[in-house]
Amino acid sequence: MLRAVGDRTFLPLKEFIETIGSMGVLTGKTLTSAVRPPYPYGKEFVTQFLFAVRLCWFPMIVASVAFTYGPSGVQAANFLNLFGAIDRLGGLFIVAVVREFAPLVCAIVMAGVAGTAITADLGARKIREELDALQVLGVDPIKNLVVPRFLALMLVTGMFNVYAVIFGTFGGMLVTVTNGAPLGPFFATYFTNATPTELWGSLLKTILFGAIIAIVCCYKGLTAKGGAEGVGRAVNQAVVISFLGIGAFNYVFTQTLLATHPELTLVR
Amino acid sequence: MSTFKAIGDRTTAPFGDFLRFALRVMGDVYRLRVMKFFGETLRQAGILVTGSVLIVLGLVFILGLQCGIEGAYGARAVGAPSVSGAFTALCDLREVTPYAFGYMMAAKVGTGIVAELGSMRISDEIDALEVMGFDSMLYLCATRLLGMWLVLPFVYIAAVAFGFVGSYIAVVQQIGEVSAGGYFQIFWQFQNPVDLLYSSIKGMLMATTVVLVGCYYGYNVSGGPVGVGTATAKSMVVNIFAIHAIGMIGTQLFWGGNARAPIGG
Repeated sequence: MLRAVGDRTFLPLKEFIETIGSMGVLTGKTLTSAVRPPYPYGKEFVTQFLFAVRLCWFPMIVASVAFTYGPSGVQAANFLNLFGAIDRLGGLFIVAVVREFAPLVCAIVMAGVAGTAITADLGARKIREELDALQVLGVDPIKNLVVPRFLALMLVTGMFNVYAVIFGTFGGMLVTVTNGAPLGPFFATYFTNATPTELWGSLLKTILFGAIIAIVCCYKGLTAKGGAEGVGRAVNQAVVISFLGIGAFNYVFTQTLLATHPELTLVR
Repeated sequence: MSTFKAIGDRTTAPFGDFLRFALRVMGDVYRLRVMKFFGETLRQAGILVTGSVLIVLGLVFILGLQCGIEGAYGARAVGAPSVSGAFTALCDLREVTPYAFGYMMAAKVGTGIVAELGSMRISDEIDALEVMGFDSMLYLCATRLLGMWLVLPFVYIAAVAFGFVGSYIAVVQQIGEVSAGGYFQIFWQFQNPVDLLYSSIKGMLMATTVVLVGCYYGYNVSGGPVGVGTATAKSMVVNIFAIHAIGMIGTQLFWGGNARAPIGG
């Protein structure tokens, strides 16, 4: 009885810790084989980059406009309207969009769209034993499959962050216009509150989000097992772990950035 | 011209297909035909509770923490640390809890349903059900939808509570510039039961869409084991669109013209 309870509690925990450990090992292997010559992954990198861009650009635009229009747009504009200070919306958007929502939306879309596609692709190859065949041929799956995806996803996520910021700001403009306020004050407070540190922090955060998503999704794809249900199950687990990882990392990163850069929390 | 028609056909035809599927499943639940398989419904509800609820609550909790630190630093910036509760109340209840709930429902429950039904489809289990005279759509999809409807309102309330606890921990325990009493005074002033109702409507709409999309993609899988993976990935794309559309329209409808905040007359 006691043993059954113990097994039920600790076996999933042990499995979880083992998964985290294996992902760390995969990260280390990916990093070393990315920098160590030879570099055979150039072509695959370009393919994966274009694949991710083609898949994600439209969901990304929709998500970032919707996310900034609702939470930071309508709610904040309502609040500011009560004080008659709708022009401060621009300054708020620096905090809300550049620091928080653009990276978050970017990561959610990348994990949900590109990450799931990567896991489905690698998982399908795994259960058709193509990966084993590659290894027999002397082709290293990590160098030829994981590294290009890792680099491509980091680059695409970082790049899309810029577009998420642009379209997020567009959402803010939309809210300002629907409230019947002029756009000039919006941009005036927007640019006085903008700091380079904020933008760098946002970019660094999304690039690391891309790395997390790539590692989790590649790992789950490479270790897919159990036939038909296995691939679907792998995609399911990959997206769940990515979302939780993104949330946890986002919290730690934002907290560290805010605590170490007090100039970010100044209202100008 | 023909390209536009082709693009239109490619997007609208599956959408119409999905709507027909969704209406049929909801009709089965509404006309109580699903009561024939009430045991299966309860089993699906149980699987949802034991398998997915903790993870859904986990993401809501993490984003609640996030709201908390943003609120605390934002309130400190305007020189009034004690009003961070105003920010977290709006952030948690109205926006972040529905979104986090929708995201995690899509990630955990939606893709899980696709993987499960998809593998049943390609191993011909669904056809076997039909041969045995079961209405497979009723048995597989309608039971899942009703099971979700039975459980999720309570899960949603729990999720709201988890988000609140996360914000409380971040603002009061971690940043620590406002006392618990001062925080809660502002925090409870800036929300009311109607907000909770609106927020739950948003969350429930998202969850319903997620389950229906999951059932649709899982039920119509084709193309072997690889097809299951592709369908799972595709369902996630559709879910992301749907969640954001519901979130944006919901916010505009419920709070667009009325701030519902205890400020001024």
